[in-house]
Amino acid sequence: MDAALLEQMLLGALLALSVYLPLRCGQLSLATPGFYAVGGYVAALLSTGVPAFAGSGATSPLPALLAEMVLGGALAGLIALAIGGPVLRLRGIYLAIATIALVEILRVLNLNLPFTGGAMGIFGIPQPFAHAEGYVLFTLALLALACWLCQRLEALRLGRAMAAIRDDELAAACVGIDTPRTKLIAFVASAVLAGVTGALAAHFFNSWNARAGSFDASITTLAFVVFGGSRLWPGPVLGGLVLTALPELLRPVGDLRLILFGAVILLGPLFFPQGLVTAERLHWLAARLGRGRHRGRQAPQAP
Amino acid sequence: MSVGRLLGVGTGLLTLTLLAGCAADPGSKPVDVAGGVPVGAVLALTGNANVYGQDQKIGLELALQHRNGAGGINGNPLKLALEDSGSDEPGANAAFTLQINRGVLALIGPTLSQQAFSADPIAQRRGVPVVAPSNTATGIPEIGFFISRVSAQSSVIAPLAIERALKIQPGLKRAAVFYAQDDAYSTAETTIFQKALKEKGLDPVTVQRTQLNDQDFQNQISAALREKPDLIVLSLQAVDGGNLIRQLRELGYKGLIVAGNGMNTPNIYPICQKYCDGLLIAQAYSPELDTPANTAFLKAFQAAKGGAIPPQLTAQAYTALQVIGDALVRLDKRQPLKGATLTAARKALMEEILAGTYATPLGEIRFTPEGEVIQSQFFVAQVRMDPGGRSGRFALLK
Repeated sequence: MDAALLEQMLLGALLALSVYLPLRCGQLSLATPGFYAVGGYVAALLSTGVPAFAGSGATSPLPALLAEMVLGGALAGLIALAIGGPVLRLRGIYLAIATIALVEILRVLNLNLPFTGGAMGIFGIPQPFAHAEGYVLFTLALLALACWLCQRLEALRLGRAMAAIRDDELAAACVGIDTPRTKLIAFVASAVLAGVTGALAAHFFNSWNARAGSFDASITTLAFVVFGGSRLWPGPVLGGLVLTALPELLRPVGDLRLILFGAVILLGPLFFPQGLVTAERLHWLAARLGRGRHRGRQAPQAP
Repeated sequence: MSVGRLLGVGTGLLTLTLLAGCAADPGSKPVDVAGGVPVGAVLALTGNANVYGQDQKIGLELALQHRNGAGGINGNPLKLALEDSGSDEPGANAAFTLQINRGVLALIGPTLSQQAFSADPIAQRRGVPVVAPSNTATGIPEIGFFISRVSAQSSVIAPLAIERALKIQPGLKRAAVFYAQDDAYSTAETTIFQKALKEKGLDPVTVQRTQLNDQDFQNQISAALREKPDLIVLSLQAVDGGNLIRQLRELGYKGLIVAGNGMNTPNIYPICQKYCDGLLIAQAYSPELDTPANTAFLKAFQAAKGGAIPPQLTAQAYTALQVIGDALVRLDKRQPLKGATLTAARKALMEEILAGTYATPLGEIRFTPEGEVIQSQFFVAQVRMDPGGRSGRFALLK
């Protein structure tokens, strides 16, 4: 498999996790591509406009990339913090519509602001890595960190509060969970992750423009989660990896590839309404694999 | 095994598989000429730019037949690998990388300027010659040494259509401009159109912005028609532009329409049908050019497409592959490709491409040291639709 495709898959998995975080709390937010675009613009503007970030022009230093990721994530997080209060009063499909509107507003702003380069966007973004393999290792580390944090969440009070809100918001509020605050934390975390991913993606794609954050992208990232499963973090990661890779892996079938891709997206939720990854399937798999090692012992309880 | 540990092990295994599978850069290996001399093309065959890709594909096929019919690259056939880029940047990046890893000597594409800004830097970094058949935005050859194009940039061509409109109707006073604000080609070209209009003393009375994926333009058209324009200038791609023209005429606009390079394809006929009639478009290609190269191309195209007139995009794609083929023949004579490393052969090929002069269907062309095409003749065509409105042609204005 080619490293560039692998990098796109990993970026897809990170975006899927960003959609998953609010969903973990029962909030259907489609704002991820908006924050992704914001993070990308931060990186693109800094690395093409500020000499300290630009390096030699063709290559940029790694600390600059890290700083851009922090700044991109911070700006996306601040935007989420500012609008999260009013927006998160909405529920279900209304929240989805409001977040689509947010993505559209950010897109039109990016197209028309004087410094974002209009439709052409910003190109000639310097590269921190000479080869795609460098990006892959770096993104893999970022994805591993994001996955580890998601796994930690299962054991934390915050994570359990989020799960409680997803299952029944009213009941969660009755047992003393600060529901608005918990939902806001999930929303901001999602924005930060998308912003950080965008800063990395802008370098990888060489150019950045408003099409990074479009309605189409909202739907694509949502499909990652629907396909992979929205209850456990491995679901979105799997969905992001598979659905990003599929159009490229299907190239040998020629003209039919996008039709097949569409069929997979259609059939996935039809046969696996909960997504590919569910707790039962993971336990089944764990029991199967564990049987050889723990012969005669009872399968241990899941964390 | 706990679920947590299972996930850890799974992630680790996935990482190892993925890393082990990473393709190594084939640059240091010798050129693989066993099955033919490898050249790649990346075109938009799906997505909203697919109408261009279809035109280009025919051009490449004809050029390939012509080259291999004339002995290929000194006896070894030229082998063309075609990949679809979709109409977006990640698609173009992926297809470029795929082709480069396959070990192609040169690349043709991508179809859209927007894709070029994203994908060309990959080829530049890996040192693979790119000949762009249809990128017209400013700044494409400037991406780097390895990037060149055979499509003249819009700043050269676009003003010609405005001049022609003024010749047809000297009293023009009120120009209205439309462009897709989320598309690189449209925004780049409309700047050039607006500058040309101002130079002719025709300050646009209104500038309307649309979106690339819009279907319905009633709002923008009504707003523009309130200004009573007598000339409408469009920088739109084929699908949205075709729809906009149909709606313009349906809402009663009777004056002249000038369109940019985005609508320079017969594939607009099924979209705006009889309403395409009268559309003015500047051309970088004339089917009536009387040179041996164009006669051969015209004959091959008409044999393949039942007598139709070849569109500009087809002629440019044909030219792109011809340029690479001619340069390969010269290079192979000077220093045989067989045995050379891929990196060295690619670099030598780029130097050879830039150094040559080519007798193509577009006329005689050569390149600036940057890779910008130098072409002597341009034309303006007017669309003439058949009475049924099903089919038509680009009639050259003398």
